[in-house]
Amino acid sequence: MSATPELVIKDLHVGIEGKEILKGLNLEVKRGEIHALMGPNGSGKSTLANTLMGHPKYEVTSGEILFKGESLLEMEADERSRAGLFMAFQYPVAIPGLSVANFLRTALNARLAPSENDGSGAVPKKRGIAPKEFRALLKEKMALLKMDESFAGRYLNDGFSGGEKKRAEILQMAVLKPEIAIMDETDSGLDIDALRIVSDGVNALAGPGMGVLVITHYQRILNYIKPHKVHVMVDGRIQISGGPELALQLESRGYDWVRNGKEAVAR
Amino acid sequence: MSKPETPTLDLRESYTEKYGFHDEEQHVFKSRRGLDREIVAQISDMKGEPQWMREYRLKALEIFEKKPMPTWGPDLSTIDFQNIYYYVKPTSEESKTWEDVPADMKRTFDKLGIPEAEQKFLAGVGAQYDSEVVYHKIQEKLEKQGVLFLSCDHGLKEHEELFKQYFGTVIPSADNKFAALNSAVWSGGSFIYVPKGVHVDVPLQAYFRINTKDMGQFERTLIIVDEGAYVHYVEGCLPAGEQVSLGHTWVNIETVDRGDVVMDSNGRESRVASTRVLPYKGDMLTIVPLSSANVFRLTPEHPVLTVRRRDVAARRAPRGNWKPEVSSVRLRAAEPEFVPAGQLEAGDFLVFPVSRITRENEALTRDVVRLLGYYLAEGSTYIHKRLHQPVVTLTFSERERESIDEVKALIHAVTGKRAIEVAQPSRHAVNLVVYSQHLRDLCIAHCGQGAAEKRLSREIMELPADLQAQLLETYLKGDGSVYRKRKHTMARACTVSRTLAWQLQELIARQGHFATINVRKGGPDTIQGRAMKRRDQYILYFSHDKQQSQVRKCEDYFLVPINRIDRNPFDGPVFNFELESSPNAYVAGGFAVHNCTAPTYSSDSLHSAVVEIIVKANARCRYTTIQNWSNNVYNLVTKRALAYRDATMEWVDWNLGSKITQKYPSVYMMEPGAHGEILSIAFAGKGQHQDAGGKVIHCAPNTTSKIVSKSISKDGGRAGYRGLVKVQKGAVDCRSNVNCDALILDEASRSDTYPYMEIEEDKVTIGHEATVSKIGDEQLFYLQSRGIGKDEAAGMIVSGFIEPIVKELPMEYAVEMNRLIQLQMEGSVG
Ligand SMILES: Nc1ncnc2c1ncn2[C@@H]1O[C@H](COP(=O)(O)OP(=O)(O)OP(=O)(O)O)[C@@H](O)[C@H]1O
Ligand SMILES: [Mg+2]
Repeated sequence: MSATPELVIKDLHVGIEGKEILKGLNLEVKRGEIHALMGPNGSGKSTLANTLMGHPKYEVTSGEILFKGESLLEMEADERSRAGLFMAFQYPVAIPGLSVANFLRTALNARLAPSENDGSGAVPKKRGIAPKEFRALLKEKMALLKMDESFAGRYLNDGFSGGEKKRAEILQMAVLKPEIAIMDETDSGLDIDALRIVSDGVNALAGPGMGVLVITHYQRILNYIKPHKVHVMVDGRIQISGGPELALQLESRGYDWVRNGKEAVAR
Repeated sequence: MSKPETPTLDLRESYTEKYGFHDEEQHVFKSRRGLDREIVAQISDMKGEPQWMREYRLKALEIFEKKPMPTWGPDLSTIDFQNIYYYVKPTSEESKTWEDVPADMKRTFDKLGIPEAEQKFLAGVGAQYDSEVVYHKIQEKLEKQGVLFLSCDHGLKEHEELFKQYFGTVIPSADNKFAALNSAVWSGGSFIYVPKGVHVDVPLQAYFRINTKDMGQFERTLIIVDEGAYVHYVEGCLPAGEQVSLGHTWVNIETVDRGDVVMDSNGRESRVASTRVLPYKGDMLTIVPLSSANVFRLTPEHPVLTVRRRDVAARRAPRGNWKPEVSSVRLRAAEPEFVPAGQLEAGDFLVFPVSRITRENEALTRDVVRLLGYYLAEGSTYIHKRLHQPVVTLTFSERERESIDEVKALIHAVTGKRAIEVAQPSRHAVNLVVYSQHLRDLCIAHCGQGAAEKRLSREIMELPADLQAQLLETYLKGDGSVYRKRKHTMARACTVSRTLAWQLQELIARQGHFATINVRKGGPDTIQGRAMKRRDQYILYFSHDKQQSQVRKCEDYFLVPINRIDRNPFDGPVFNFELESSPNAYVAGGFAVHNCTAPTYSSDSLHSAVVEIIVKANARCRYTTIQNWSNNVYNLVTKRALAYRDATMEWVDWNLGSKITQKYPSVYMMEPGAHGEILSIAFAGKGQHQDAGGKVIHCAPNTTSKIVSKSISKDGGRAGYRGLVKVQKGAVDCRSNVNCDALILDEASRSDTYPYMEIEEDKVTIGHEATVSKIGDEQLFYLQSRGIGKDEAAGMIVSGFIEPIVKELPMEYAVEMNRLIQLQMEGSVG
């Protein structure tokens, strides 16, 4: 494991449409670590995730995000992705007409031949993974997440159930193999069995090579994906951080406890 | 002269490069511009048609003339019907093997991959070039089963009974203005008959190409699918290149007359193998040579045949303001080379090649040529209003007795008629007048008409030099003056026709002299007390016996120094020519350059087809169109099918190209159980307006229909759906479903939806859904967050949008279609 964390967020301030949402957030995530991020609705968790991924709507007004020692702020979302960052969306959008397989192959090829997909508009040359190899890879990852093979041919998120969408997000993560992955409420919408399957999948991928930031409201997923650290975010800042037990305490005491108690829990 | 390598311009592969070339215009017949009874009759005559068809055409012309232009939909007011060539016959015969197709055309179709496609996945192919089908072939197996797949013209010739039974029954001439136009001037297209129960499993395809500038293509298609039969017909309309060509022996893009062969930098004839048009933004150079009228423009990277002054400088210190002096010996010995225009400097020498193209012409005798020289200077011709007589007159000064007598003799020798001499003492002039159609024709054919339009014919330009000398001599007696300056004889000529000035320069070069041309700018002036607007005058100077000091004559070219080079910003299309010869270089402004120069015109073509289809009981017909015309084509097409009991008609209609498209394929469900389906895709980019859609008419009970429309607009384009669902009285238990989706790629673009319903029965089920979406930031972000670049992501969203329709295409087309869409999408998301 490397000494400097792959992801370093320093005093991050983010606004959207003139309103400040993140108000000085600090966080570090290393490969091999699993962090849980909890916090009340509207506290800014998704804002953080989207900002990290480079959504153009979110404006970084001050602070710094370093990924593997380099600033992410000047990079477009696709560059961040190719650099090894991944976000599983809270609300994945549908792309009608684009099959899951086609999409994933393009995405995979984009990182195999990054220079040819630099956004210059050049038609990418036919390089990258061979179709047969890709089919095998996709099959393997779908098996890992116990997804029916027919999903490969379906249009991306089009008509997917809530749970299917979440599973498809993790499938993408499995295929793209990021170094740092952010999972924004991947657990919501999953039934009990699906939660276990998806968690198993994440655990199989996580390990020394990948760091994960799990955004969630519920302790349950943390029973499967064991976090090293738990952070609680309130009003655009991380109010409190601790070990796995923090999540359990939250579950029983609620967020007011954090809002009022502040330093009540040891770090 | 050196043989430089053809510079390969490393340009991004683009749509234009794939299709944007054009062939040299080569036709066996071309009607004059415009439309009237005579043109229609001429087309009919050329085709040797039965009388009924001739009358049908003439009747349709009357309807066309009476019908007003449609007042709804895209603006068509810019179509100039009288500027169009309505009939251009490219070859004398239709071929059954590609080997028999003339090389030029075959090359076109080769480039477009058609013979290859035929072998791979088609049951039959027709290829239309301008007005006529040049190739038509169907698999033998199908022929044996009685399937007919012919050009419409051959359909009429060989199967007149069948043809006559159906022609014009689905779309009568009076249906709309453009159907009437097509009915009057139709030519080419396909005639298909599929006998009872025969299934044609692989598609029949026809390709259409417009090559001639300002041309109208009016193909006509008639398809009859007999009971229980099946056919899939595909038409691909391929874009013509922007129509720029090179002129007579020298190149002057502004005055080009297409159809001419080009002179290459060696002074030999060469064919334009292809042309390409590319957008260009950057510096445009204007190179002003010693002869200032020979100015030409090009982009800095384009090579120009040159001798650099610094390479031939004399070993002498420069004097004062003078450019470094050159050594004549070194200059003449220097091998010209191609240098990018951007590196040129004032003082460098351009190569002015002298044409070596010579053709004898029996009609142009010494007498005729001398007479034409006089005419060029002094003559005019007109039709005498009262007498209705063709008149040619030449005006001389009283003092030119010798010339007057010679002209009288020449007129007699050429026409057999005596010229009348009319004295005009007040003006000290003498007019010679002769009533002769023959002479009038000769003069117009070889000298043009009107002072500013004077130009010499190609025949004159290619005569042997000694005959050309005759013309120059008599011409200079009129418009010129010959005078002595110091010890030398100088000649000066003056004309308001730019074309003529350049041609004279060329003729003089063939005599071994370099003439400079200078322009005296026109403008307001007072002539004999009257305010006039004077035209630009081109003044030629040359000497018979003295070399101009700054110009050097080499064996077959002149070296002419550059006086000045201007650099100006330019934003517009530039053209690129490829010649067949080596060097791949031509002549611009009189000087040898390598391709790419600024065009000064663009013009529009008209494509107005009529397609009639009859699908009999239990039969099925699918008609796929891949419309990909270049962006100067008005595409106004009427397509209609009649579907009988339990028959199915499907239109798959792709509109990617053209300037304006108006097309609403329709299905009339005539008997119970009939089914009609229309899939329409329109993609409008910059400057394009796609008004597409479809019509389904339920004429009988228990009929079903479906319309799916997808339109995409970007870069300020307009794409839309215009459609009609009609249920006639009595057509109960019908079902119809309309679904139109629009995708708008940017703020500047627009989408319109005009769904019309005319439902005259209650017991029917009609569904209508319409969505308009903008390429969402969320969708783009989603794909980008997976590492896919923005442009590619946008392309994927568009491809996804049309995927349900692409799926309906045979695989080969689907692949091509996706490629075209990706090309259209390049660089489109900001
Ligand atoms: N696109 C947007 N436009 C306007 N306001 C936004 C936008 N995105 C987020 N916000 C606002 O920013 C604040 C933080 O939202 P965010 O989605 O980051 O919260 P969250 O912590 O992820 O909440 P949840 O637990 O409900 O997912 C909220 O007040 C939200 O309304
Ligand atoms: Mg959220």
